[in-house]
Amino acid sequence: MASTANSLRLGLRGSSSQIARLQTGTRPSPPAAVAVALAAALRRRCLSTMPPRWAADGKDAEAPGELELEFSRNYANPGEFLADYLRKDTITRAERQQAARMLEQWKEAPAELQGQYEQLARNVYTQAAPLKRPVQPRKNSFWNAEEKDTDLITDEVGEDDFEEDDILSMGHGKLEEHREAREYSRVTVWEMPLLSKFAKPFVPPTGDEVLRFRYTTYMGEFHPADRKVVVEFCPKDLRSLTDAQQLKLKKLAGPRYNPEKDIIKMSCEIHEHQAQNKRHLGDMIDRMIATAKDPTDMFEDIPLDTRHHTFTVKPKFPKEWRMTEERRKELEAIRQEAFRLDEARRTGGGLVDGVVRIQEALAAPQAAAAELQPVMARRGGARPGKQNARPQPRR
Amino acid sequence: MSAPNCLRCLLQLRPSVALPRHLLVARSTAAIAIAWTAPFSTTTANNAKTGGGGSKDKTGGHIRAGKKIKLGKFKKNTTADRGKAPAPGERKAFRKKILLSNNNALPVPGLVDLTPEHMLDPQNAATVLSIPDAVVDQLRAVEAFKPTQCWGVFRKPSMLLRTETIDLMNRMKGAAKQKQTLRLVVTGDRITGKSMLLLQAMTHAFLNDWIVVNIPEGQELTTASTEYAAIPGSDPVRYMQQTYVLKLIQAIRKANEKVLSKLSTVQSHPELPQHIPVGSPLMQLANSAKEADNAWMIFQALWQELTARGRPPMLFALDGLSHIMKVSDYRSPAFELIHAHDLALVRLFVESLGGAGAFPNGGAVLAATSRGNSPRAPSMELALQQREAEQAKAADVPQPDPFFRGYDERVQAALRTVQVLKLSGISKLEARVLMEYWAASGILRTTVDESAVSEKWTLGGNGVVGEMERAALLTMRL
Repeated sequence: MASTANSLRLGLRGSSSQIARLQTGTRPSPPAAVAVALAAALRRRCLSTMPPRWAADGKDAEAPGELELEFSRNYANPGEFLADYLRKDTITRAERQQAARMLEQWKEAPAELQGQYEQLARNVYTQAAPLKRPVQPRKNSFWNAEEKDTDLITDEVGEDDFEEDDILSMGHGKLEEHREAREYSRVTVWEMPLLSKFAKPFVPPTGDEVLRFRYTTYMGEFHPADRKVVVEFCPKDLRSLTDAQQLKLKKLAGPRYNPEKDIIKMSCEIHEHQAQNKRHLGDMIDRMIATAKDPTDMFEDIPLDTRHHTFTVKPKFPKEWRMTEERRKELEAIRQEAFRLDEARRTGGGLVDGVVRIQEALAAPQAAAAELQPVMARRGGARPGKQNARPQPRR
Repeated sequence: MSAPNCLRCLLQLRPSVALPRHLLVARSTAAIAIAWTAPFSTTTANNAKTGGGGSKDKTGGHIRAGKKIKLGKFKKNTTADRGKAPAPGERKAFRKKILLSNNNALPVPGLVDLTPEHMLDPQNAATVLSIPDAVVDQLRAVEAFKPTQCWGVFRKPSMLLRTETIDLMNRMKGAAKQKQTLRLVVTGDRITGKSMLLLQAMTHAFLNDWIVVNIPEGQELTTASTEYAAIPGSDPVRYMQQTYVLKLIQAIRKANEKVLSKLSTVQSHPELPQHIPVGSPLMQLANSAKEADNAWMIFQALWQELTARGRPPMLFALDGLSHIMKVSDYRSPAFELIHAHDLALVRLFVESLGGAGAFPNGGAVLAATSRGNSPRAPSMELALQQREAEQAKAADVPQPDPFFRGYDERVQAALRTVQVLKLSGISKLEARVLMEYWAASGILRTTVDESAVSEKWTLGGNGVVGEMERAALLTMRL
């Protein structure tokens, strides 16, 4: 089971033809040829995760300046490779000439350069050897867990370790707080007093200024609601309108009319800037007033619709119920009068008491019953002598 | 699990039970066939009335039942004997039972029976008077008493004459004298005595030998609880409620026997199945209604006779007005809901109330709203409020909501000219008289002085009679 890293590692080695195609020029320069040869030296296996691309039979193969590279062994230097290449009989004449020319160049190269190339090839080979070694999963390993991932992009080990050379992040936060407070203190001390130059005294709106606008600012910050403008006005303040026209204006306003406060409230945020929205509202009110003044249709058949509004009735303590000194006296008089009446009835006997009434009723029938108690008498009078003669019940 | 069949039975292909031949013959062949065809089964044999596995009874000696879990074997048999269930209608009869006297209550000394003059004299406001026995029977016949009223705790049905009562009686008397019809709706909050005022009006009518026709509950006519049929040849179609009308005729006959027995017919009624010549007693006409089929026809004839000239004044009363001021629950043959005003009897009342069918001999058409059981009737509510405002000559008469759809034009039209009598709480003097009556009956066990009266009057929401009763009588703090 090959890990991702392993597959990546295997994929590093491209097929020889791909390496060859890197050369674009018709006449490869000596270093390029040397690189090709070096690549051949690096080549160890033909295993690849990429799909093989087969050389086309046609022109691609015949293209001049493109070396058909097939590595079957390791070459110590480009000269070895070229000599081996020239030994092949499958190559074309042009290729042979090119290879021969390259071999000449190699042989003309100084000995120390050749030595450096050989040394480089050897170094590359020795250093790449452990990488190229196929990784055999251990027998008792669990999901090849002990495999060291050599292809990590960053080395995160120890990145978050605290090196004892800084204050903690909470400390940084506290410092930031101090900085902010000091900044605002500076603003308060140095810049705010300058604002008083712009202060204007409050002038209540005159009778002509009937529109009341509301703007929203987020202190210079961008906010989607800062463009919104709200206008409120009372139709009664528009003195140029007659009562009928005012009523029509209310009907035109629809649910924007508050019948409890008698105020029309509209808002606009369709435009990008506050001023545009305000302009829009102003135009709208102008149009509404113009329509309200238009006598062609005064909407007399349509009643004012207030269904959108919920009338809230706040119960208030009635003034008449307030306990004043007068009221106290009045109540006292009523109670006195009631008491007097009750006393009069009590002495006169007109007071009805449920309990007494029940007691009387309970007493009365018993008295009546006692009077009317039927006396049981034998026919022919009592005969005491016979009583003893009655047979006793047997035990 | 043990095998359901005995091995011995499986080995030999024969019915699993070695039965004697005569038993085998007696057994149904189907059962044997089953035993033959399916000797193997994974389900436990379920024998009828078998005690358990391996029992050697006649059904299957060799069939072993599996081990069965018997749940709840320690539970007692919970089907306790609950006694005899009430017969059909018994519960309703109990619910609707009206008790008019209670021998345990004390007789109130000095309580006098009502006379026709009593209810007209303003001096008699705030007095409690008892209803004469004859009138009690008549009121019972027209179902004027309601099960919710507290008659059953007193010795004798008696009632408080309120200021409104005296006022209404005088208006009725005046209308009858001028041969006009008083058309009035009694309204007011819950349990303020609306039905009781109707009862007092009926008492007045009975005492003065009026003819009384009472529909005790408007609800009974419109909740689709009584039979109905289209009246043949009516256009637009009206509907008659024969069973109800038969009951109504019987109630009219029973309650007004004293008056009707003196009257005789003045019109011939050829449409009636029974020949009733002109000059025959009205009781005969009323008695001819024996079954529901021709009850509506007889009712119409009776109504014509009663509203003919020279008859005594008439009182037509109905309780629960909002039920007849809406679309009823009845359906037409096209399965459309029938408006209550298309029901002939309801229509008769509504026309009388609206003034379309005036009584030539004078009288009154009274309706009472109900607040406990009343469907929403926005038109009726509005009309009553408007009439009330108009009567009080208020500056602003309530106007209909222009954006509300639920108004009913027919209801508005019916209630356009009625008078409205709004009932609210009784005065403290009336409350005192009433509480003295309670105490004298031995039901209210307190001294009725000003403070007690004031307490109950306040507890009862400024003298709402029903609430006062609740506060004083219906609590168990005796």
